[in-house]
Amino acid sequence: MRDPEPIVSTLWSHLAGGFIGTMVLTTMVRAANEMGLTRMDIALLLGTTVSDNRRRAKAIGYVFHFVIGMVFALLYGVFFHAVGYSSWWLGALLGAVQAVFTATVLLNAILPVVHPRIATPDTAANEVALVEPPGFLMLNYGRNTFLITLAAHIVYGAIVGWTARL
Amino acid sequence: MRVDGYAPIEDYALIGDGRTAALVARDGAIDWLCLPNMDSPSVFAAILDASRGGAFVVQPSIPFDSSRRYVPNTNVLETTFTTARGSVRVIDALTLPDGRLEPMREIVRSLEGLSGAVPMRWHFAPRFDYAAASPRWDTRNGRPVATSGAVAMAISSWNAGAASQHDDAVGADFELESGARALLALSTAYAEPLVFPTRQALEARLAYTISFWQSWVAGRGYDGPWRDPVTRSALVLKALIFAPSGASVAAPTTSLPEEIGGERNWDYRFCWIRDSSFLIDALLELNCYDETRSLFWWFMQATAITEPELHVLYRLDGGIGTTEHDLPLAGYRGSRPVRVGNGALEQRQLDIYGALFETAWLYSEGKHVIDRDTGRVLARIADYVCTIWQGPDSGIWEVRNGPFHFTHSKVMCWLALDRAGRLADRGELPARHRDRWRREADAIRAFVEGRCWSDALGSYSRIAGSSDVDASLLMLPIVGYGDPRGGRIAGTIDAVTRSLRHGDFVYRYRADDGVPGGEGCFLNCSFWLVSALARAGRVDEATSLMDRLVARANDVGLYAEEVDPNSGAFLGNHPQALVHLALVDAACAIRNRS
Repeated sequence: MRDPEPIVSTLWSHLAGGFIGTMVLTTMVRAANEMGLTRMDIALLLGTTVSDNRRRAKAIGYVFHFVIGMVFALLYGVFFHAVGYSSWWLGALLGAVQAVFTATVLLNAILPVVHPRIATPDTAANEVALVEPPGFLMLNYGRNTFLITLAAHIVYGAIVGWTARL
Repeated sequence: MRVDGYAPIEDYALIGDGRTAALVARDGAIDWLCLPNMDSPSVFAAILDASRGGAFVVQPSIPFDSSRRYVPNTNVLETTFTTARGSVRVIDALTLPDGRLEPMREIVRSLEGLSGAVPMRWHFAPRFDYAAASPRWDTRNGRPVATSGAVAMAISSWNAGAASQHDDAVGADFELESGARALLALSTAYAEPLVFPTRQALEARLAYTISFWQSWVAGRGYDGPWRDPVTRSALVLKALIFAPSGASVAAPTTSLPEEIGGERNWDYRFCWIRDSSFLIDALLELNCYDETRSLFWWFMQATAITEPELHVLYRLDGGIGTTEHDLPLAGYRGSRPVRVGNGALEQRQLDIYGALFETAWLYSEGKHVIDRDTGRVLARIADYVCTIWQGPDSGIWEVRNGPFHFTHSKVMCWLALDRAGRLADRGELPARHRDRWRREADAIRAFVEGRCWSDALGSYSRIAGSSDVDASLLMLPIVGYGDPRGGRIAGTIDAVTRSLRHGDFVYRYRADDGVPGGEGCFLNCSFWLVSALARAGRVDEATSLMDRLVARANDVGLYAEEVDPNSGAFLGNHPQALVHLALVDAACAIRNRS
């Protein structure tokens, strides 16, 4: 049986990495947003699953995003433990994979199905959607969106990998 | 009656599902359909090239007359063909999802024999990618399937003859007796497998589609004169709202000509910021609160990349990339070029800032809250307007020989800053720069009153210092600039009437605009004249003109962009949202002052 202290310390390292990584990721996307490079607004996108009040939705969305960021950091940790190795570059690689998955499946295919206010290509005149769907590679939000998402997730992954303690 | 294979533009009725739209001619031909969306490449474009464009025809195979209407309070079309051997009714619809597994897009054509025994034919000739690609034909599940790239179309038929393929088309002849029913369904897919519906599912979906449209109309609240034309306009506008994003397309067609044989042929399958304030106003008048909010959210999302600078138009998906280019199609009755994309994207048009702020103002007046982030964006845009209003632009009519100092553009900049100030008063915009907005609004008003007024005309002029007028000046009382019952507005209405009116119709302007060729009268200008007259207190004059204009719609209540004032023939893209928006505004303006 392993000593519980290292396990707790490992968990905290993943959670801390996830928190800091999500903070940096969010800041990068927000900065790109302010520079007019993308219309991606992850907080609005996530928050409008539960509220159609934009202000409240954004606040809730940020909380969701940080929770998701820490859950993914734990999943990265499971992977690091499975391969018995962690490093910033392995984290960055996982971040890149996660970005592609997010842009092609998670936000493009799964979120519109469960999101009550987002449109899909099948939304017809008998429904009124409020939130524009991201589209493949999130290109609906601007041509740079995927590259920004990719870069931000690589940085996120690198931070999670760098802070991980096995 | 077709000329060289082309039906008159006024012969077309619209069916739509909020994602794509089709034009159906009086003779039963669907001559325009884009897939999967309104702004996608066409699969039927016989309206732009009668021999190569592609169409889906259902009609008697002997001489016939036809009469049409929409199934009451729906976007479902009903055509009755009358022949020497009897009559047949055809119901056409782009069906709406009813919760069952349905194709990505679906056209249902339901036939019923009303009397006698009528020889009928159907002919399905898809031409993909604006007729650039021929279909590949296969048979799946016993149905003919045409594919090209990511698009697939399957034609299913019941009691409509044995389909046979010839000349890159599929069709059949059959006879429909009194009381007999036949059904044709066009199922389409884009980048996914086809879904083959059963007859029962199709009939259920058609019934659902009719009931949805009727319940949608029942939930709207227009109470006033010209109820039927206003309701039809509401249905057209709803069909032109692209449901996957909430944007509204200006018209579902491209390159229907402003002059037969001319080259003023433009692609209108975009969302113009300019139309937004009209649309929000109309949606609120019609109690379409969900659509209002969806449209406003779309605008704030679409403009996020470019703000504080706005683009004239946006793609339906909110993007801004579009290049104008010509297609190798013959054009409607030889009217070339056929264009896709729109070069107006590159222009600076200052009036759109006024339209955006009027949109925000109306949204706020409609008891919607403008959130803090949106308020900050609007404040940045108002600051930007302060820095650009003194420059020239291409104006509301998107002239290609400008830029000029258009009076209408200046007034719309005034409107932007006036509304920004009022929104700041309400606490919906940060008030930091409110005084500056008010100062600049006063400066714009001084410019308009000083430089854009012509004593010789007794009217505001088209351009600062010019000696002519244009129909956009009718917008001044509509947007609330000046005293609508004052001498200057009255003089302007009279000057526009003297210079530009032709019977019940109004030309945009007489000046050169940098594009060769002529054009008809823009129908929205006629309805603007009605609105301006009503606001100026000349309600009887407005009512009389409105009655005559309403009678000039086509047989199913639709309007194209323009009309030839001599023949009454429609010109330009069809049906046009702006005309129907202007109709709603005119009806409300008279109602509110009666």
